[in-house]
Amino acid sequence: MQKEAAIREPLILGHKTYHDVTEDVCRPIEDKAPRMWYILFGIALIIGLYGVGCIMYLLGTGVGVWGLNKTIGWAWDITNFVWWVGIGHAGTLISAVLLLFRQKWRMAINRSAEAMTIFAVFMAGLFPLIHMGRLWVGYWTLPLPNQFGSLWVNFNSPLLWDVFAISTYLSVSVVFWYIGLIPDFATIRDRAKKRVSKKMYSILSFGWSGRAKHWNRFELVSLVLAGLATPLVFSVHSIVSFDFATSVVPGWHTTIFPPYFVAGAVFSGFAMVQTLLLIMRKAMSLEAYIHTKHIEYMNIVIMVTGSIVGTAYITELFISWYSGVEYEAYAFLNRATGPYWWAYWAMMTCNVISPQLMWFRKLRRSLMFTFFISIIVNIGMWFERYVIIVTSLHRDYIPAAWSMHYPSHIDIGVYIGTIGLFFVFFLLFARYFPVLALNEIKTILKGSGQSYKESPEYHKHH
Amino acid sequence: MTKKYWKGIDELKETPAFLETKGQEFTNPGSIEEFLSDENLGESSTERRDFLKFLGFSVAAATLAACEAPVIKAVPYVFKPENVTPGMPTWYASTYYDGISYASILVKTREGRPIFIKGNKDQGFTKGGVNPQIIASVLGLYDGERLTGPKVNGNDSDWNTVDAKIKASLASAGSIVFLTNSIISPSVLRAIEEYKATYAGKLEHIQYDSISYSAIRKANLQSFGASIIPSYDFSKAKVIISLDADFLSTWLLSNEYAIQYGQRRNPDGEWMSKHFQFESVMTVSGSNADQRAMTRPSDLANVLNYLISKKVGNVGVANNLSSDVKAVADAALASLASVGTQALVVCGSNNEGLQILTNKLNQLIGAYGTTIDINNTVNLYKGDDEKVHQLVSNVIAGKGPDVLLMSGVNPAYTLPNGQEFAAGLKKVKTSVAISAHMDETASQATYVCPPHHGLEDWADFRAKNNEYAIAQPTIRPLHKTSSTLESLLVWLGKTGRGGKDSKVAYDYITATYAQMGLVDFNFAVHNSCTPVLSKETAPLTFKEVQVAGLPKASDLEVVLYQKAAIRSGEYANNPWLQEMPDPITKVTWDNYITMNPKEMEAVGYATTYDQENGLSLATLKVNGNSVTLPVYPMPGQALKTVGVALGYGRGANGEKIGKSAFQTKEYGGYVTDENGNSKPIGANVFSMTKFENGTYNYYNSGSISSADGEYIIAATQIHHTVMARHSIIRETTLGIYKNNDKEAYNPAHTLQKLDEHGKHVNVPVGEFDLWEEHPVEVVGHRWAMTIDLSSCIGCGSCLIACQSENNVPVVGKDEVRRGREMHWLRIDRYFASDEEATIGTRKSDDIDYDNAEHPSLNPKVVHMPMMCHHCNHAPCETVCPVAATTHSNEGLNQMTYNRCIGTRYCANNCPYKVRRFNWFNYPSYKKFTEVNPAQDDLGRMVLNPDVTVRTRGVMEKCTFCVQRIQSAKLKAKIESRKVEDSDFATACSEVCPTDAIIVGDWNNEASVVHKSSKEIRAYQALEEVGIKPNMWYKVKVRNEENKELAALQHTSSPH
Repeated sequence: MQKEAAIREPLILGHKTYHDVTEDVCRPIEDKAPRMWYILFGIALIIGLYGVGCIMYLLGTGVGVWGLNKTIGWAWDITNFVWWVGIGHAGTLISAVLLLFRQKWRMAINRSAEAMTIFAVFMAGLFPLIHMGRLWVGYWTLPLPNQFGSLWVNFNSPLLWDVFAISTYLSVSVVFWYIGLIPDFATIRDRAKKRVSKKMYSILSFGWSGRAKHWNRFELVSLVLAGLATPLVFSVHSIVSFDFATSVVPGWHTTIFPPYFVAGAVFSGFAMVQTLLLIMRKAMSLEAYIHTKHIEYMNIVIMVTGSIVGTAYITELFISWYSGVEYEAYAFLNRATGPYWWAYWAMMTCNVISPQLMWFRKLRRSLMFTFFISIIVNIGMWFERYVIIVTSLHRDYIPAAWSMHYPSHIDIGVYIGTIGLFFVFFLLFARYFPVLALNEIKTILKGSGQSYKESPEYHKHH
Repeated sequence: MTKKYWKGIDELKETPAFLETKGQEFTNPGSIEEFLSDENLGESSTERRDFLKFLGFSVAAATLAACEAPVIKAVPYVFKPENVTPGMPTWYASTYYDGISYASILVKTREGRPIFIKGNKDQGFTKGGVNPQIIASVLGLYDGERLTGPKVNGNDSDWNTVDAKIKASLASAGSIVFLTNSIISPSVLRAIEEYKATYAGKLEHIQYDSISYSAIRKANLQSFGASIIPSYDFSKAKVIISLDADFLSTWLLSNEYAIQYGQRRNPDGEWMSKHFQFESVMTVSGSNADQRAMTRPSDLANVLNYLISKKVGNVGVANNLSSDVKAVADAALASLASVGTQALVVCGSNNEGLQILTNKLNQLIGAYGTTIDINNTVNLYKGDDEKVHQLVSNVIAGKGPDVLLMSGVNPAYTLPNGQEFAAGLKKVKTSVAISAHMDETASQATYVCPPHHGLEDWADFRAKNNEYAIAQPTIRPLHKTSSTLESLLVWLGKTGRGGKDSKVAYDYITATYAQMGLVDFNFAVHNSCTPVLSKETAPLTFKEVQVAGLPKASDLEVVLYQKAAIRSGEYANNPWLQEMPDPITKVTWDNYITMNPKEMEAVGYATTYDQENGLSLATLKVNGNSVTLPVYPMPGQALKTVGVALGYGRGANGEKIGKSAFQTKEYGGYVTDENGNSKPIGANVFSMTKFENGTYNYYNSGSISSADGEYIIAATQIHHTVMARHSIIRETTLGIYKNNDKEAYNPAHTLQKLDEHGKHVNVPVGEFDLWEEHPVEVVGHRWAMTIDLSSCIGCGSCLIACQSENNVPVVGKDEVRRGREMHWLRIDRYFASDEEATIGTRKSDDIDYDNAEHPSLNPKVVHMPMMCHHCNHAPCETVCPVAATTHSNEGLNQMTYNRCIGTRYCANNCPYKVRRFNWFNYPSYKKFTEVNPAQDDLGRMVLNPDVTVRTRGVMEKCTFCVQRIQSAKLKAKIESRKVEDSDFATACSEVCPTDAIIVGDWNNEASVVHKSSKEIRAYQALEEVGIKPNMWYKVKVRNEENKELAALQHTSSPH
C-alpha cells in the first residue's frame, strides 16, 4: 500500500470509497450519453469527414492540390506529422517514465494521455502516407522480400527509420494501453447489464478474473512494457528529428535536434493532455481525481520542457552566428527577420515566453490560465515545426530558387480534418472506455486519498 | 539388455495378420490396373459429371494461368523503308526559315517522325547557331489546330475548287498585289517573276516583315547607294557598341551573331571582345554587356553624335548626355582608340537617321571591310515599309487591289492599324491568305491556303548572297496542305496539283538550281547548302548624307521590344516557348510593362511579386490606344521609359491560332470574355508602333497611369540577387584575371585538419569525405559537365532543347505561378546589388541583407544554367527511403521513376533545387489539356521514344541525357573503340551557341571536359557542402574596369 506524508496534497479529493471510484468511472459508460456528447461528436465527425473528403481529393488528383512547389517539398504535411507525433509523446512518457519513477499522480491521467497518444499517432501516421506521390506503392518502404528484382529499402534514409520508429511506437503504445485497460474492462463487464455490452466487454477484458496471479502478471507486464517504452519516448522524436538533422539544408542540419525535438514533444504532449483533461474532468465530473495538484505537476513539466526548448532556440541562434557558416547564419536571420518573421515570433512568444509564466504558483494552479496556455503552447509548437520546415526550405542555398509557401484550402482541410478525426476517436474513447485507470487509482486511494489522510486511522500510524 | 520397442499392439501380440504383412514394404499391394478394373468403380462417389467438372476446371485454370497481360503489338514494316531502323534515329540536314530566323539545321527523326532540331555546325554560315524558336518549331508540326486543308470564306473546301476560283480571280483582276514576308527563296522569286511577266503591269510584289529593318536598307541606300543589309562579323570585333540592338537574341540574324560573339568571350582566348550596350529595356545583349548604359531611344542620337564627334577628334564636345551614359561612352571611346578598325557599331532602331549615324561611326572606325562585309549582303528583311504603308492605306480606304495574296504575313495583327486593315480586307475583291492557321488575317480572307510545315516541304533559300540552301522534307505531309511554291505555280497555270507525294516544288527547285549554274543537287541536299560565287559588283563607297527625323524626346518614351521566346508573335501558340522564362525577367506566359523599380517605388507600384502577390496594373496610352498590363520592375530600365513586348494578345477575337495561345483557368479550360471568346495572353501593342519617316518605328511617346487592381504573373524566379554568395557565382574582371593568380578570384574552399605532426593545416574541402567514395574516379566512365559563365549568354536555347529531348511537360501559367515548372534545366539570372562589388562578391564582411535583396539601379547580370549536378556524394540519394535515386558507376545520379514513391525528400535535400516533382498527371489531367502537347494524339508524336513520359507522383530531373550516353556507348562498342568526345553531347550542350556547356567523360584525361574542369577558372558551386558534384562552372570574366573589385580580389604576392 502507498504511504506518503500527510503534508503532501492528497491525490484524490473528497471522501471517496473504493466503490465511489468504480461508480465515478463507470457512470459515463453505463448512463446514456449527454446531449453535449452527441453535439461534440457530431461536430467532430463532420470536420473529420471533411478532412477525409480532402484526402480523397488529394489521392485522386495528386499532391499538387497542396500548396507545395519545386523549392518547398514539405510544408503543412510534415509540419502536421511532427506536430501530431509530438503530441503523441506525452502518453508514453506519463505511463512509462513516470511509472518507473513511481509518480503516483500519473494514475489520474495516464489512461487518457495514452489514448491521446494513440489517436495522435494515428493522425501523425496519416501524413507520411498521404504526402507520398504514389501512396499505392507506399509499402515499398517496408523491407519486404520481393520479386521486383533484388530491390531493398535504403537503410541510410531517415525516412525509413521513421517508418520503423513510428510503427514501433504505435504498436508498443497500443499494447501498453490495452494491458492497462484489461482490469478496468473486467470491472465494467462485471457491472454490465445489457447483453451486448456484457459480451463486448467480456471479449475486451480477455477473461480477467482479478485473481492475485493475474494482478501479479499484470504488474510484471506493465513494468516490462514500461521498460520497453521508455527508450521509445526518446527514440521516436529523435528519429523524427533525424529527417531534418541528417539533411544538408541550412536550418535543418543541426546536431541539437534530437534532444530539442524530444523536449518539444513532451512540451506539446503535456499541453494537449492539459487541454483535454481540463475539459474532461468538468464534463465527466472527475474533479476529485484530476485536480489542481495534477494540473500543477503537469504545468511544471511544461515549464521545464518549455525552458529546454527555449534554450535550444537560443543555442541554435548562437551557433548559427558562431559557426560562421554563411548559409546557416542567413537561415536564422531569415527566420527572425525574413518574410516569415511572424511565424518565428509566434513560435518564440508561445513556446519561450508563455511557459515561463508557470514560475508563478498562482498562475500554474489556475485552471483557466492553464487551459489558455495549453492552447497557446500547441499553437506555438505547430509554428515551431512550420518555422523549421518552411523557413529553412524557402530560402536555402540557391537564391534563384527561393520561394514562398502558401497553403491551399486542401492543406487546411486535411489539417483541420485530422483534428476532427482525433476528437471523434477521443470522444468515442471517453464514451465507451474507462477514462481513469480505476483499478490503479484504487491502489493509491488509501495512501493519497483525502479522506484517508484526514481519517484518525491514518494519523494513528504516523 | 536392449529395450524392445514395438510399433503397435499387433506387433506386441504378434497377431497372424501382422505376421503376414511383416516383410512387405507396402501393406496394400493393389496395382493401378486392379483399381481401374474394379467393376464397382462406376459406383464410387466421383461421378463422370464431377470428373468432367474437374477436368473443365483444370483446363480453364491452366489456360488462365498461361494468360498474360494484353499484348500491345508493334507491327513490323512489311516493306522496310530504306534507312529506317526502328529504334534508330535518322538525321536530315535541312534549313530553317520562317521569315524571321534562318539557320542550317539537322532534324532528328525516329520511325519517320521529326522529334528534335539542332543547328548544323558543319554546314552553312549559321555554323550551328539556332534559337529557341527554331528548336521549338518541331512542335508546331504536330499542332492540332494547324489547318488541314484549304478554306473558302471560312468553310472547308478542296484544292481543286480553290485553285479554280483563284485562277479565275487572277485572270479577271485589274490589279494584283502579293504581300509576302521577305522571300529568300530563289525559286519562289523566280515564280513571282513569271507572274510579273504574265500579269505585266498589273502585279506588284510587296515584302513585309513583322519586325521591320527597312531603316538599315534605307540608310545604306543613302550612305552607299545600295539598299542592302551587310554581313556583320562579331567575331572580328574587339569592341562592340550596340545601341538598342539585341543582337544576341532578336536582332537580325542573332543566331549567327551569338556564335561569333561567343568565340570572343573566352578570357583565355587570343583576345576578348569588349561590349558596350546603350539601351532602354534590359535585353539579353544588354545583360551580357561589359558595360551597359541606360539610354532612352531619344538619347541614342546624342550618344552616336557624341561618339562621332569625339572620334573625329573634336575636343570639348557639347553634349546633353547624363553622366552615366557619358561615362560608358567615354569608356567605349577609350577602347575604340586602342583597337583600330576591329570594332563594330550596331543600332537596333528602325529610324533611318540613327542608322545613317551608325554608318557614319562605322565608317570613321573603319569597320567596313573588317567587321562589316558590305559585299556579302543579307537577303532577309527586305520589307519595304513605305510600300506596305501605301498598300495598307489603300486597303483601308477600299481602294485595294482586286486580288491580294498574302503569304507568311499577318498584317491584321502586326500592323499599327491592323484592325482597320482587317476590316478593309473585307472590301478587297479576292483575298488569299497562305497561312497555317485561321489567324487574324486569314480569318478575314476569302481563301485560306495552308502551306506545308517547314519540315514537310521542299524549299530553297539564299539567305546571304554567297550561300544557297535547301530544306528537304523530313516527313510526308500530315494534312492536305500544299507547298507555297506549288500553289503559286498551280495558280499560274504552269502545273497541276501533285497531291501528298507531289514533286512539283522539287522539280521547280532543281530547275532553279540548274539555272543558277550549280551542280550536284543531291550533294547540296545532303549538306543542306552549297556556296554560290557572287558576281563582282562595283565597290560601294561611303558618302556623307544629312540626317533628319531623329527620335524626339518625350516625358515617357515607350519602347516596343521583342522577348527572346515569343519575338513578334508567330509562335504564340507554341507552349514550349510560352513557358520559356524570359531570359531577363523569368516571367512566362505574359507580357507586361517594364519600368525601373526606382520609378515604380516613387509612384507606389508593387516591386515584388510571388505566387499570391501580383504586380500593380497600369494603363499605358499611346497614339490614343491604351492597354492595361501589369508593371514589371525591370532593373536597368532607362528612366523615363517603359517597355512592352510585342507578340502577345494573339487571337484576341477568338481566332483559332492554336490550343496553347490563350489564358487557361486554374482547373483547366479557357478563360473567356463576355462573348465567350477565349482570352488572349497579354495584349497586342503593335498598335503602339508608328509609321514615321518612311519606316515602322518601335518606340513612341505615351503616358502611364495606374489602374485598379493587381495582376498575378507567373515567374520561375522571384528572387533576383545572389545575396553575395561567392560560392555560387564567381565573377572577376579581365584585368584581375590576367594579373593575379587563382586565389584572387577563384579561391579554393579549405577546412582545417590536423596533419600527422598534430599541426593545423588548411586542406581543400575535397579531401574530406563523410561517405565512402563512389568508385568513379578512375574506373570506366565518369560523365561530367562544365559551364562557362563567361560564355553563357542566357538565350534559352538549351532549355528548349532539353524540353524537346526529354519530354518535359508543359504545365501552364497557373502551375508556373505556383513554382512548379518542370524544366530540368533552368537558367538562373542574378542581378548585382549595391552590397556587392560584383555579383557574388560582397563589398565588406558586414553586409545589409535587406539591401542585398534588391538589384542595383543598372545592375550587372550573370546567367547561370542550373541542372542536376550528379553529385558523387548526392544528398538526394541518401535520403530516399526506397533507393529510387541511386548513383551509377559512371558518376550519374540516376532517377528510377518506377521505384519512386514521391516523398519529395530528395528535392528538399538538393542544394541546387533542380529536382522536379510530378504534382499531377500531366499527360492526362484536365488542367493541362490546353497546354501540354502530350495530351493530344498529334502532339504526342513529338515525344522522344527514348525517354519515359513520367507519371503522377514521381520525381524527375536532368539525366545528363542518359539515353544519348547509352547510345554513344553502344556505338563505340559496335565499333570496338572507346567513347570519344564526338560520340556524345547532351541536348543542352549541342544547341549552345557559345559552347558554354561542355560534357564528356571526365575519366578520359584527353577529353575536353576533363581539361575544362582543370582550368583555373573552374569551380564547383557550393563545393563546401561536400557533395562532390560532377559539374564545374567557370568564373565569369567581365571585360571592364572595377576598382572596387580589384581592391578585394588581389593576391599580394603570387605564390
